Amino acid sequence: MICYLTGLDLKNIIKFGVKPKQPIILTKLLITKVKNHRNSLTGHIVLSVIFSFIFALSTFAQSGDTKNGKKLFNTNCAACHKLEQRLIGPPLKGVASKRDQKWLQDWIRNSAALIESGDADAKAIFEEYSSIPMTPFPNLSDQDIADIMAYTDADPALFEKKKVEEVAIVVADPIDYTTEVLIAVIVIALFFTIILFRLKSTLLHLYKREQGSYFSELVAYISFIVKNNTLAILFVFLISMLGIYAFWEWGLGVGVDKGYQPIQPIAFSHKVHSGDQEIDCQYCHSSARTSKTSGIPSANVCMNCHMLIQEGENTGKEEIAKIYDAIGFDPSTNSYIENYEQKPIKWVRIHNLPDFVYYNHSQHVTVGGLECQDCHGPVEEMEEVYQYSPLTMSWCIDCHKTEEIKMAGNAYYDKIHKQLAAKYGTQKLTVSMMGGLECGKCHY
Amino acid sequence: MSQKKYWKGIEDLNEESQIMQDLRNKEFVEEIPTDDFLGDKESLESGSTTRRDFLKYIGFSTAAASLAACEGPVVKSIPYVVKPDNVTPGSADYYATSISDGHDFASVLVRAREGRPIRIEPNTMADYYSTTNARIQANVLSLYDSNRLKAPQKEGEEISWSSVDADIATALATAGDKEIVLLTSSMFSPSTKEIISKFSEKYPTTKHISYDAVSSSGALDAYETLYGKRALPLYNFAEARTIVSFGADFIGDWLGGGYEKGYSIGRNPKQKEMSRHIQVETNMSLAGANADDRYSVKPSEQASALIKLYNIILGENLATNKTPIDSKLAAIAKELKNAGSKALVVTGSNDKNLQILAMKINLALQSRAMCVGKPVFVKEGNDNAVQQLVQDMNSGKVSALICYNVNPVYSLANSVEFVKGMKKVETTVSVTQFVDETTKESTYNLPSQHSLESWGDAMAVEGEYSLMQPTIRPLYDTRQFQDNLLKWMGSDEDFYSFIKNNWKNNILSKKTGSTWNQTLHDGVLKLSLDPDMPTLNEVDMAAVAKAAQKYFKNAKGIELELYVKAGMGNGELANNPWLQELPDPITRTSWDNYLTISAAHAKELGLTNWNVSNGALNGDIVKLSAAGVSMTVPVFIQPGQAYGTLGLALGYGRSEGVKDAMKTGVNAYPFYKSFNKYASSVSIEKVEGEHEFACVQLHHTMMDRDVVQETTFDIYKNKSRDEWNPINMLATHDGNQPVSKIDLWDQHDSDIGPHFNLSIDLNACTGCAACVVACHAENNVAVVGKEEVRKSRDMHWLRIDRYYSSDMTKEKAKAEGLSGVTGSVDMYHQMEVASANPEVVFQPVMCQHCNHAPCETVCPVAATSHGAQGQNQMAYNRCVGTRYCANNCPYKVRRFNWFQYNGNEKFDYHMNDEVGRMVLNPDVVIRDRGVMEKCSMCIQITQAGILSAKKDGRRLEDIDIQTACSSACPSEAMAFGDINNEESLIQEPLHDDRKYYLLETVGTKPNVMYQTKIRNKNS
Repeated sequence: MICYLTGLDLKNIIKFGVKPKQPIILTKLLITKVKNHRNSLTGHIVLSVIFSFIFALSTFAQSGDTKNGKKLFNTNCAACHKLEQRLIGPPLKGVASKRDQKWLQDWIRNSAALIESGDADAKAIFEEYSSIPMTPFPNLSDQDIADIMAYTDADPALFEKKKVEEVAIVVADPIDYTTEVLIAVIVIALFFTIILFRLKSTLLHLYKREQGSYFSELVAYISFIVKNNTLAILFVFLISMLGIYAFWEWGLGVGVDKGYQPIQPIAFSHKVHSGDQEIDCQYCHSSARTSKTSGIPSANVCMNCHMLIQEGENTGKEEIAKIYDAIGFDPSTNSYIENYEQKPIKWVRIHNLPDFVYYNHSQHVTVGGLECQDCHGPVEEMEEVYQYSPLTMSWCIDCHKTEEIKMAGNAYYDKIHKQLAAKYGTQKLTVSMMGGLECGKCHY
Repeated sequence: MSQKKYWKGIEDLNEESQIMQDLRNKEFVEEIPTDDFLGDKESLESGSTTRRDFLKYIGFSTAAASLAACEGPVVKSIPYVVKPDNVTPGSADYYATSISDGHDFASVLVRAREGRPIRIEPNTMADYYSTTNARIQANVLSLYDSNRLKAPQKEGEEISWSSVDADIATALATAGDKEIVLLTSSMFSPSTKEIISKFSEKYPTTKHISYDAVSSSGALDAYETLYGKRALPLYNFAEARTIVSFGADFIGDWLGGGYEKGYSIGRNPKQKEMSRHIQVETNMSLAGANADDRYSVKPSEQASALIKLYNIILGENLATNKTPIDSKLAAIAKELKNAGSKALVVTGSNDKNLQILAMKINLALQSRAMCVGKPVFVKEGNDNAVQQLVQDMNSGKVSALICYNVNPVYSLANSVEFVKGMKKVETTVSVTQFVDETTKESTYNLPSQHSLESWGDAMAVEGEYSLMQPTIRPLYDTRQFQDNLLKWMGSDEDFYSFIKNNWKNNILSKKTGSTWNQTLHDGVLKLSLDPDMPTLNEVDMAAVAKAAQKYFKNAKGIELELYVKAGMGNGELANNPWLQELPDPITRTSWDNYLTISAAHAKELGLTNWNVSNGALNGDIVKLSAAGVSMTVPVFIQPGQAYGTLGLALGYGRSEGVKDAMKTGVNAYPFYKSFNKYASSVSIEKVEGEHEFACVQLHHTMMDRDVVQETTFDIYKNKSRDEWNPINMLATHDGNQPVSKIDLWDQHDSDIGPHFNLSIDLNACTGCAACVVACHAENNVAVVGKEEVRKSRDMHWLRIDRYYSSDMTKEKAKAEGLSGVTGSVDMYHQMEVASANPEVVFQPVMCQHCNHAPCETVCPVAATSHGAQGQNQMAYNRCVGTRYCANNCPYKVRRFNWFQYNGNEKFDYHMNDEVGRMVLNPDVVIRDRGVMEKCSMCIQITQAGILSAKKDGRRLEDIDIQTACSSACPSEAMAFGDINNEESLIQEPLHDDRKYYLLETVGTKPNVMYQTKIRNKNS
């Protein structure tokens, strides 16, 4: 039975409360599994604390913040490096102990300069990895690099911890019994109905009255209801109200494409890229931070990795070939075809806002600090992306009414925050308090 | 049952009738001609589809179609294959470059979205030519003109560039002793000059002739006579205290334009002194409309008056004629002398001698406003050389004629001779953007590039270099003129590397520390040179005055002055619908040129303008004849036009290279003989018919209302505000109260976050209309065409109302005893009539963004609502088009989409073709039919500004949020800012005594304010 608990299952349970098919058994299993983990976890923690203490004495790496390091690693390095395996670049596990700090900083900020300076190590690595220069990261501070190194040196088990904790949280969450309760109620109601009918026939029998068939009884009841004007009107009223309600509900759904999941020209799996490989969303959708649109990555962004990763586990080879076909890359010679007539990839757009709505990604991502998943759902688990949110105006407005604005540390809000807090008497300020419900803020 | 028999017809009586036999068997006697409408009968009958099946199919397909309609359309999203590094979809890039189309020049910033330039803004880093006019603003649309020449042609057939190059290189090499002529517009580009000089080395018979359709040759000749160099002096109007202009429209395009900014700086009443402007002119020009004192005289009298003024100031006695303003000239001379070095005299004449006279007066006064030590090069046209070329071509001296950016067949008065001459030239080449009149006559038509697609440089003023860089890949198979020359010289270099090398070797070295990349980023390289005073040549002034006499010696009868409109310019941009639809600031008429005439003169000749039942303006048509040319033109009665004179705009009547809808007006260039814009002995004769104008303003005076507040400088300086800009008071039960204190509604909370206000300084506004075009470009405002404008359905979000003063005032009516019911009716009737020489005011009016907006309360669907940022918001998708809001708006600024103006062939302007739509701003919705729209106070710009401040984590600054109109305004008449920001520039006008609100007594509490106009009248 333990085979039910794949990573995906666990994640589903954690994030979206997907109801397991056999709740009782599963819960038990979960608890046992967690218990197992907990046991091993304690050991891990003890071990890693000891290790980190030892490393802290010898190398700079451990002075970094592994958590931040992981984030930075995923954003900047994960496209070309893995911890344990060779990708485009070498595996980075324990790299901090192999090279000295200064060298690493120079290499990361500008490897080309280091190679040019005649550094033998640098040259060797460059040549070993097909002479592909590493993207320079001049914006990474010393601390950032230290953090990344701390992450590459840290025991991976440290990061397993998180998953376990999350599982533990699930166990604490109540499981939804609504359906079972409903069934129970119906069963009990039926039970009582039968008892009542039995009781009635017994009483009739006692009075020696002739027992009619159940069918004629039913007809009598119905004719009583039909003949009773008040009841008939009430019945018709109820039915028509239900009808109007159903029509209203149906009408609200017109033009709402929630769940829209078109077939894309390339069977691109967000689960593989974002979920399994943990590539940051904004590595590919980089303009979400700066621009109105999040931007569909151009094929040259795909090529950053797929120049080397030319096959996948399932349909990867055929699908990756479609990128090569678009951009003009010949995997057999590992080179771009000259004078190739490039063919843009025609993706099917999933999230279609009407033209009369102005929506700006950077407003929500950079200023608002929202996660991509807040609107787009668990993309990292979607094999094929579908529209997660309804994208209706009421959905926008609900969030504008409830979501707190992240004002701290932004000088733009300094004065506004004080004024609004005084006006509404609360520190929790929503977009609507700043005029976020005005028509003209989104329609112009 | 009755036995009666009824007969259907006479045939029925005939038992033997074949017809009756047939009718018993069939319904109709003859076969029904089903074949005619259903096609082949046989195949129809052999088909298996019965009528019932047919109905079933219809039913099914209708049901299927309805079901399919419930599905949303599949939208494709196509990213770049290889994304350019500097393009981020969804965010704008700015490039510093220059626009130089031969007629106008400006250093500009170009806003590009997804690689498409969509708007032009002034580049404030430049010291000179850093402002934009209406034509510069509209230039971005000409880039996307679907009528552009798209590939090289020989005799109308497309050929390849390589065969063009081979043909022309051979033609040039075999020219022998005959001339090779490069006829170009003014090209003050150092690198182009360098190429032309190298080209001349290769082909020694090369002659470069500059040709300006609307010439400034006289002024260039004058400077050359005095200082030995073809250039213009730098006029600095900001320095001037007294400006006397003899027909020089320096708010328009006098000597290349660009003087609005300096002029408005000098006229700021906050300073101790404000400049005083006296205009002596014939037509009502933009400069004349802004003058403090304006005298309307004939062109011949302008010349006489200028000589007379020269005599008075220099104490000489050159021969001249009497003029009607002789009595005023002494006073004008006195004012000039008092102003001393702050005096400035300018003339609009294209005559060398009159220009010398004006320059001499300035030199005598030691004027600092005319700086001869800083020559200006924006105009180069040489009239004599052009006329010589016509002769040379006709006498067969020219072997090759290469025209670039000029259209002499359209714009030369003697274009017939020019065309004759072209026939005698072996090789004629036209390097042009359009298949225009000249291109039609040339053998080779080579598509050239728009300024926004080209590399280039310029030195407009000595010591300030500008760069021009492409902001988009060439749209068509075009090549720059300079690249052509390099190719034909046999050089392998392209113009980009040529210009880069030329700058590295010759220009960047002039300023230490300057680099190519930095200059490209800034758009300009300023050497900050001190004026270098050239030596003055001796001139025989008596001879000059004698030569100038030709202007009044033989002047007889009615005189004509040709002028240039703020919108149309010299006619090169005639295919630009924004400029065609732009109402002329003076006449408020679009899509036309016409003969302006004074009211008194028109009355004498029995000529009238009248309004038809829907308010549109119609006018009589006349036959105009002068110097052997005649054509029929409509007449337009123009207040301020000198009696006995006529005015006609150049630049209209294009016949080639423009869409049919843009073939408007008449071509006035045939009257522009020898580049002289004046003609005398003109005759006009009324002919049959009437002309339909597209005039957008029906009331030309204010009729005693205080829509525009004005006062004189003297009163403004010396009296309290209550006398010249009293606070509006209303009687209440608590006594008189200021309007601002009385409120029907609760106040809006406007202290939190930004609250935007716009201030319009009526004193600085020159009426140039740059803002109107900028608004078009920024907000995707539709062009509706002449017929719709006539129905008052123009879509301009921002209009510039123009009001004339009237001779009738309340005081005058009192003195004349015009009172009581009949008397005041008479008074108001007379108030409607503008003075013969009126004072003029311009008032830009857009949505006033009322805090208590009358439109909001009447909208049945709440489509228009108030925003906390001070903007009155319009949700187009909510609007159902009842138009209540427009009816309830006291300012009449709401515009209704009577039709769908995009993608509709009935409105064949830029929004009807794929290329033209590339100019649309992707941040602003295209409005559909049946929807109300209006000025949004550029909410897309304010929102983007707020977002960028939030992203940077700083306070909002003025620079983040400048609206299209405020950024385009060359005279800084429009100030826009956040009133909750103490450092915003809006604070000054907000607390200025000159501030007033339009129709404040209505209680709308607008967020747009106006500043009282101040006239510097002699008290």
